[in-house]
Amino acid sequence: MAAEGEYLLELTDIEAGYGRAALVLRGLTVRVPPASVVCLVGPNGAGKSTVLKVASGMLTPRSGRITVCGRDVTRLGPQQMLRAGLSHVLQGHSVFKEMTVSENVLLGAYTIRDRAEIAERVDFVKTLFPVVAERWGALAGALSGGQQKQVEFARSLMVSPRVVLLDEPSMGLDPKATATVFEQVVRMRDAGTAVLLVEQNARRALETADLGCVLDLGRVHISGPAPDLLADPKLGELYLGSGTSTAGS
Amino acid sequence: MHSVSDPRPGRGRTAVRTARVVGLVALVALVAAFPSLAPDSFILSVGVVIASYAVLATSWNFVGGFTGYISLGHAAYSGLGGYATALLILRADVNPWLALALGGLIVAALAVPIGIASLRVRGASFVIVSIALVLILLLVFQSWGSFTGGSNGLRVPRPFGDDVLRPEQHERFFYLHAALLAVLLLCWWAIDRSRFGMGLKAIREDEDKAQSLGVPTFAYKLVVFVVSAFFTAIGGGMYALWFGYLDPIFQFSILVGSYMVLMSLLGGIRSLFGPLLGAVIVGYAMEFFKAQYGDTQAHLIAMGALLALVVLFMPDGIIPALGNLVNRFRPKAASIRELTAEELTVQREQQEVRG
Repeated sequence: MAAEGEYLLELTDIEAGYGRAALVLRGLTVRVPPASVVCLVGPNGAGKSTVLKVASGMLTPRSGRITVCGRDVTRLGPQQMLRAGLSHVLQGHSVFKEMTVSENVLLGAYTIRDRAEIAERVDFVKTLFPVVAERWGALAGALSGGQQKQVEFARSLMVSPRVVLLDEPSMGLDPKATATVFEQVVRMRDAGTAVLLVEQNARRALETADLGCVLDLGRVHISGPAPDLLADPKLGELYLGSGTSTAGS
Repeated sequence: MHSVSDPRPGRGRTAVRTARVVGLVALVALVAAFPSLAPDSFILSVGVVIASYAVLATSWNFVGGFTGYISLGHAAYSGLGGYATALLILRADVNPWLALALGGLIVAALAVPIGIASLRVRGASFVIVSIALVLILLLVFQSWGSFTGGSNGLRVPRPFGDDVLRPEQHERFFYLHAALLAVLLLCWWAIDRSRFGMGLKAIREDEDKAQSLGVPTFAYKLVVFVVSAFFTAIGGGMYALWFGYLDPIFQFSILVGSYMVLMSLLGGIRSLFGPLLGAVIVGYAMEFFKAQYGDTQAHLIAMGALLALVVLFMPDGIIPALGNLVNRFRPKAASIRELTAEELTVQREQQEVRG
């Protein structure tokens, strides 16, 4: 792992919950180094998606600290978080179905005024996601689930984010589409963008990630390099589905 | 070279563009020739009524079409525009055309606080707020007889003078409405292609998501609401100048607002010419039923049936339905089968070798 202070995104001792209900996150600490995929896995109700909501400003933590490149962004809202460099791809399909792929992607750059910069980002995402270039003029709603997910990825990269927060990107996708989506996650990382990934398909996600955090009851139960977590037989039994090395892939 | 999966190869796209230009030229020619083709003064007056409906429906479509906020109370702005124009002429002796413009601006100014209050709610709540405004205005304009003429109505002086005969009045107002409609269509078209329009369409699709992407949703809704109110008021003022008489019961009627919605839905609220097409169909149908069945409520029953048919069989409207029909005969779009980046690259290379 990177040394202290070298992280793009740090969530430290976060406590958060919804309304007056009990806490979902109880002193959680997660750190995302540059150009890496950090994966959060764990059972239902562990608080994985809540971590992303806190990180993107959709949910204000009750206590704790969030920093982006060392800058405190703890109480900022979604739009300010976007400007700070955190782009959130929501669970399920969140494309604007009645709008074209081009409009969907350009909406990702809505906070950017410089046309040259937008054109440059468009070229970048078209190269990274060939299907976006291929279906540029098509209605987003006419695309398959996996293709829509790639449009969402492209949209999230339009603001040149430091970290992309991906919530269950493989949800509802068939195995081939899932493989394509994870392939694109790796391409995003290779292009220099860090990814904080929440995924039910734990084994597949850890195979893709550099680092992993196993969440349970709102805390990080175990963390470390993803290959080490995959190789841990006890962890496999508890959280990844025992013995089935190809599970979910 | 065209992409393998481009659903609109070049030749097809050129054909569509040519068809659009030809259609537009035909429409302009038809509008220009209508007064000469109309066999009598009555048909000409029906043309003016339909043009007026087209103006109101297209004005409504600025807020309904772009944001998806369904206002059933847009008669408030056409009524206010009509009364503002008439009262400026009668009480302040303002030139009719200046009164028309000032009336639009006054209503736009009033729409700012109304929009700030009403656009905070969505869906059914927004519909109810919009209806409430019409009912309040009806009561005010009926009760304030000393200023508005109350239930007795208000006679509006004709701008071209009494020496201009009725058919000629109709002809002039038909062209004036057509010119106003052209301006409206041009504005709608420009917004549709702008960054502002893209933000508005994102609001229509999912307001929360649009906000999270940095679209200033409330400001955008308010701007387009005020623009819509301004044009609706100009449409109402123009109608007042043509018809020469205002009665609050007709000016502030929920039915008028409902017709704007019906016309837009029938033609297609997401298309430029949707409300115009809807206005032609609904306007003609209403005049036909009135002529056939006199002063009965039969035309209302017919309109209700028409609305039911539209909702059941063409929920997106006639123009999108026709568009879908045309698309069936176009080359098929790419398969949505999942391809990895490598597969896609190989496929492209193969196409380049062939092409």
